[in-house]
Amino acid sequence: MMSTNTSAPLVSIRGLHKAYSPTVQVIKGIDLDMHAGDRLVVIGPSGGGKSTLLRVLMGLETIDKGSIAFDGQPYIQADEARGKTSIDTKVRNSIGMVFQNYTLFPHLTIVENLILAPCKSRGEKESVAKDRALTFLTRFGLRDKATVYPSQLSGGQKQRVAIARALMLDPKLMLFDEVTSALDPELVAEVEQVIQQLALQNLSMMIVTHDMWFAKNIASRVLFCAGGTIVEDGPPEQVMGAPREERTREFLSRVFHIGA
Amino acid sequence: MDYNFAFVLRYQDALLVGLKMTVLVSLASIAIGCLWGFVLGMARGSSLRWARALATVYIEFFRGTPVIVQLFWVFFCLPLLLGIELSNMASGIVALSLYMGAISAESFRAALKTISPDQHNACVALGLSRYAEIRYVLMPQAILRAIPTLLSNCVSLFKESALVSAVGMADLMFVGQNISNATARPVEVLTVVALIYFVIAFPLTRGVTVLERKVLKGLAV
Repeated sequence: MMSTNTSAPLVSIRGLHKAYSPTVQVIKGIDLDMHAGDRLVVIGPSGGGKSTLLRVLMGLETIDKGSIAFDGQPYIQADEARGKTSIDTKVRNSIGMVFQNYTLFPHLTIVENLILAPCKSRGEKESVAKDRALTFLTRFGLRDKATVYPSQLSGGQKQRVAIARALMLDPKLMLFDEVTSALDPELVAEVEQVIQQLALQNLSMMIVTHDMWFAKNIASRVLFCAGGTIVEDGPPEQVMGAPREERTREFLSRVFHIGA
Repeated sequence: MDYNFAFVLRYQDALLVGLKMTVLVSLASIAIGCLWGFVLGMARGSSLRWARALATVYIEFFRGTPVIVQLFWVFFCLPLLLGIELSNMASGIVALSLYMGAISAESFRAALKTISPDQHNACVALGLSRYAEIRYVLMPQAILRAIPTLLSNCVSLFKESALVSAVGMADLMFVGQNISNATARPVEVLTVVALIYFVIAFPLTRGVTVLERKVLKGLAV
């Protein structure tokens, strides 16, 4: 069942269009409302605009048309006439993102990675930030890695650090962009467990993944995106269990064939 | 003619004073020049066309003209243009810093290019300001990665610093020249001066290899 939340949506996307060049249209009109506490998983074929949607939400991309509101405030607006995108960076600070390639800072230790943004952009006291960082690291089973450099960690550990680093800023929405795609298969579970932990705390999240089992387990709502539009949108049992659209069925049968 | 190197020892105090000046001018120019070089290196790789063009012209100009001409220009022409008098030392440091900026800019540009664009994405996602991103994320990584080439830039600068003697700064070269003129023993004095430069520059050159292995390995950059 779709939730019938009457409060203002956490994310509200209207008429979103995005092209990387005149011939490469990646998002061709997306309207989407996401509510606080939603765990929205975006699935679909490569090039379907999933990652771009997340990058746009993080304010990493310009957009051609449309607007996005976050938590009731205007956040991203396309100025079609001037071909510009305005992004409210204050609003952006409420959103965190974890990327496929960890993106840790290689010249800083793990704990320094965690406290850089709190200290340098929020003015938090170093000792306070450090305490919080150690709490996160303990929770994620990385307490003994606090003073090592990222190069000394496995992929799964790096990704857990990246998640902790984003959480240090206390985001209202977390974006996970194929966070297990670069990992060796045996390391995927430890990262997914951390995300499950956050789900239990009701953190709002939007997840792009190729891991259908994970998608089914964690999602409160699934979007199937293809060709730059949302083809199907609903609870996981429906979209993944009994898809209405032919394209969704085709995609799922292909994915599960390869997976099985 | 017989050579007597032992007599040079009598002038060791004067030579030491000269060496101190050489080291001081070199260090000051390296510090200022590296900062300037980092800015130029950023501009060189910038997406702004005018910044790129300006930096390129600057770098090519300073690399394509003799350092001694640059030095004389700063010493004689700059005061005329700006209407302020610069001391020998100030103009020496200004000229060498401008030169150091040009040669280190390429080292920084190359180092900055090896930093993945993902690092920028991470900074945006963490809400870091552009300043914080440059200061705490890009600059330290660029410096670490540039260390090998930067060190050889420093060695060149240290050697080129001998040119400041031409505008009357009492550096090692200047002192050496004076002693050699006063004693009419250029072979001994200038050989010793050359050796002093070499004794400092050589370990620095070798140090590049050691640093490369030790510092950079740990960071896997």
